[in-house]
Amino acid sequence: MNRQIRGLGLGISILFIALFVQLNYLQVVHKTKLAANPLNRATVINSYTLPRGNIISADGVTLATSVPTKDQLKYLREYPAGSLFEEVTGYYSYIYGSDGAEAYYNGVLTGKSSPFKLPKSLSGLKNLLTNTNDTESITLTVLDKLQKAAQAGLAGRDGSVVALDPKTGAVLAMYSNPTFNPNGLVSHNPATVQAAYKAITATPGGPLASPAYRQIFFPGSAFKIVTASAVYDHDPTLATKPQPVLTYLKLPDTTTQLHNFAGSSCGGQILALFTVSCDTGFAKIGLDLGAKNLYDEATSFGFDQVPPFDLPFPVKSNFPTVSSFAGNLPTVAYSAIGQENVEASPLEMALVGAAIANGGKIMKPHILGSITNSQNQVVSTYKPAVWLQATSASTASKVTTLMESVVSSPDGTGVAARIPGIQVAAKTGTAQTGTHHTDDWFVAFAPASNPQIAVSVVIPDQGDLVSDQGGTLAAPIAKTVIEDYLGIEAAQGSSSGTGSTSSTTNQATG
Amino acid sequence: MIPVPARRRTELGLIFLAVILTGGLYALAGFGKAGSLPANIGPFLGTLFALLIAAHIALRRLAPLADPILLPVAGLLNGIGYVFIARLSPHEARLQTIWTAVGIAVFVGTLLIVRRARDLERYRYMFAAGGIGMLLLPLVPGIGEDINGARLWIHVGTLNFQPGEIAKLALAIFFASLLAERADLLSQGTKRVGRFLVLDPRYLAPIVTAWGLSLVIFLAENDLGSSFLFFALFIGMLWVATGRALYLGVGAALFGGGAVLALKAIGHAQTRVQAWLDPWVHAQTTGYQIIQGWFAIANGGLYGLGPGQSGAASIPEASTDMIFAVMAEELGLLGVTAILIGFLLMVGSGLRIAVRCERPFEKLLAAGLSLILGVQTFVIVAGVTRLIPLTGITLPFVSYGGSSLLANYILLALLLRLSHGAESEARSLPVAHEPLTARGADR
Repeated sequence: MNRQIRGLGLGISILFIALFVQLNYLQVVHKTKLAANPLNRATVINSYTLPRGNIISADGVTLATSVPTKDQLKYLREYPAGSLFEEVTGYYSYIYGSDGAEAYYNGVLTGKSSPFKLPKSLSGLKNLLTNTNDTESITLTVLDKLQKAAQAGLAGRDGSVVALDPKTGAVLAMYSNPTFNPNGLVSHNPATVQAAYKAITATPGGPLASPAYRQIFFPGSAFKIVTASAVYDHDPTLATKPQPVLTYLKLPDTTTQLHNFAGSSCGGQILALFTVSCDTGFAKIGLDLGAKNLYDEATSFGFDQVPPFDLPFPVKSNFPTVSSFAGNLPTVAYSAIGQENVEASPLEMALVGAAIANGGKIMKPHILGSITNSQNQVVSTYKPAVWLQATSASTASKVTTLMESVVSSPDGTGVAARIPGIQVAAKTGTAQTGTHHTDDWFVAFAPASNPQIAVSVVIPDQGDLVSDQGGTLAAPIAKTVIEDYLGIEAAQGSSSGTGSTSSTTNQATG
Repeated sequence: MIPVPARRRTELGLIFLAVILTGGLYALAGFGKAGSLPANIGPFLGTLFALLIAAHIALRRLAPLADPILLPVAGLLNGIGYVFIARLSPHEARLQTIWTAVGIAVFVGTLLIVRRARDLERYRYMFAAGGIGMLLLPLVPGIGEDINGARLWIHVGTLNFQPGEIAKLALAIFFASLLAERADLLSQGTKRVGRFLVLDPRYLAPIVTAWGLSLVIFLAENDLGSSFLFFALFIGMLWVATGRALYLGVGAALFGGGAVLALKAIGHAQTRVQAWLDPWVHAQTTGYQIIQGWFAIANGGLYGLGPGQSGAASIPEASTDMIFAVMAEELGLLGVTAILIGFLLMVGSGLRIAVRCERPFEKLLAAGLSLILGVQTFVIVAGVTRLIPLTGITLPFVSYGGSSLLANYILLALLLRLSHGAESEARSLPVAHEPLTARGADR
């Protein structure tokens, strides 16, 4: 009988081994898959029962905070700034997941990513056991006052504004219309959340899409910054080669004619071409440079790459590959002026401006300034790093001269951005997206001699070819943001803005 | 004065350890849930300690040579169970404390009444009738009650009771005495038909009877878990008694066949099996419980979230059937592995007692009681982790439930009584608790 009793022991051991195997499967092997299951709300509900760190603007305004509640999800997320910072902070919804800084810095905000430290005090030990107070807060580089300036500048129009510190890559402002109030998505009442989500998704323009870093538009003439850099980097003789004065350019291997904007005629050396944004001239330069040089320059400026941004899913800006131009020469001419298959996000165009402003170096764009712990001590600070060497310092300074001319020259397309006492360097863009539709751009930095801020503004899909151009619509917005950042009275600026409007309407801006 | 055998000193030390571990866990759970020590941690630990010490003193007097591991491990599991019940439902935790006290009282009572395990053999048919009666009691109109689709409960006044928990002990005693007497017959029950050896139908009668009874439990009470436990107990003991592997095969085939047949007839069991086979299809209905359990277990990972730190509210029946899932979420793989090893230790100690017993009845009874503990733990944990269909039986000593605690403390008392008997005989000492002369003479 003892043999069977031992057999019984063996049998029960085998049953228990089966349990251990299954537990290993569930808790280790299969864990991630189960955690990712959409039906699994346990993780989210659990995380809702814990506090979350705050998100604070660079100028000290609380953008996101957790408020204790009495219901099952113990903390309610609140966004005191409402829709102003939505594109940056995102939201943290227990039904619709999370986005923006809430998603990207989730580990920091929940305290899960903080390195394990042995507690040094009794309260430290208590924190370790209770897991309630190791959340960390993040301070952004984005400024509340600059967001407000961007919002005021857009004045309700759909469009995006991205402002960077060219020397560090710090995002100073990032605002797009249409926007929405994230508070609706984080309510603890599922019906409220669903209704808010429905209203947001029903809004034309898709506010959830975060256009500033997730949508691409034809940059149009704003891309001439890159084409001009390519000239100095790859074939400097083209800079001094005068281009004929034309109203249209007959493209090779085809009967297609490339017309200047609004039937104007222009020509001359690169400074003249750049100042008035001459399409025929730059198209010719593009054909002379060739597809390879243009492509190399575009990729060194960050096209065809996903920018290393600290927000979820930044979009890749497009420049066609060299092989795609083979047997289709005319498209090189169009790509050189930012049309055809060239598409860029507002963030990318801000980086293009910042590259010129920062002596050819593109710093990694980021919104994170520093991380503070629950005792309000700074635990880490973002360290700026170079992303790309877009061009040389000497090319950058030459292109700066061109961009200064756009604003300072009487026939420049960007005179609307003139600021008394401050030299602004800029490039306009008015990309045709349809017969009577344009994407209006303004890419600028200032002061030109010692750049503190680089801005890109896009107002997509405008209908009036005369009044809606990069230089008329987008330039004043960039100007407002620059003035605000550099601390200049806005009243002074607006008078010079209106005064110069008439002089820009006749300019060809591509 | 009676000298204290080394075994009891070991037991006392282990009881201290069990109370310290439970206290630590309770403190952590309090911090995890509310950020402070639980208000009743002092009284709770005091009560647990006092109850275990009472059981320990009873063992010193009544069964001094009994195994030293079983009581502390049971106390630890009981304590851990309380911590998790308290974390889920403070009301149930208060009741659980009362049931623990009643359980220890019954434990001492069992040791007092059953002075020699073999005396139980005399009341064989009383246990048989009592066991079967209790199994069928929930079917009596007026006192039986359906809870969650299974008819396992009786209620008298405000008191609810699951008689099946006690019935399995009575039946283990009955099987042990029956098989101890008939083992030889049953082990030779073949006859030759042509060229084949087949089982003599006469010897198949007991197994068919047991099968029929388990099928009745299954059909009438919709309880796959108890039905399986009861049948596995019988087949397991039959095999231990006879050594004929054939019984295992026939038993498995009969149970499998019966289960398939019964499934076609019973809605409740059917939905449970469907929920087992593909819970994702029924994720919001019948599969909800098992899927929430899985999510919780997976969420625990290797180290767990920490006591008191999970959501836990999303799992239905969290304090009874699904308590293991909550433990897996908060204690992680490492924690629940330790708990399962605790059960394995108890089963192993029980089987060692079976090996050391001299008489077939005692061997079979010890093996049967250990089998109950092992199989019941397996059935519920495997159900929660979806190795087998989930059934509503309790995790011994851990789950909330009075009848379950009571039955398991009786089981514990019987195993310890058997252990004391075996050790006494091994030393040629009188089985009853005459004063011992040799100090530490149990090596």
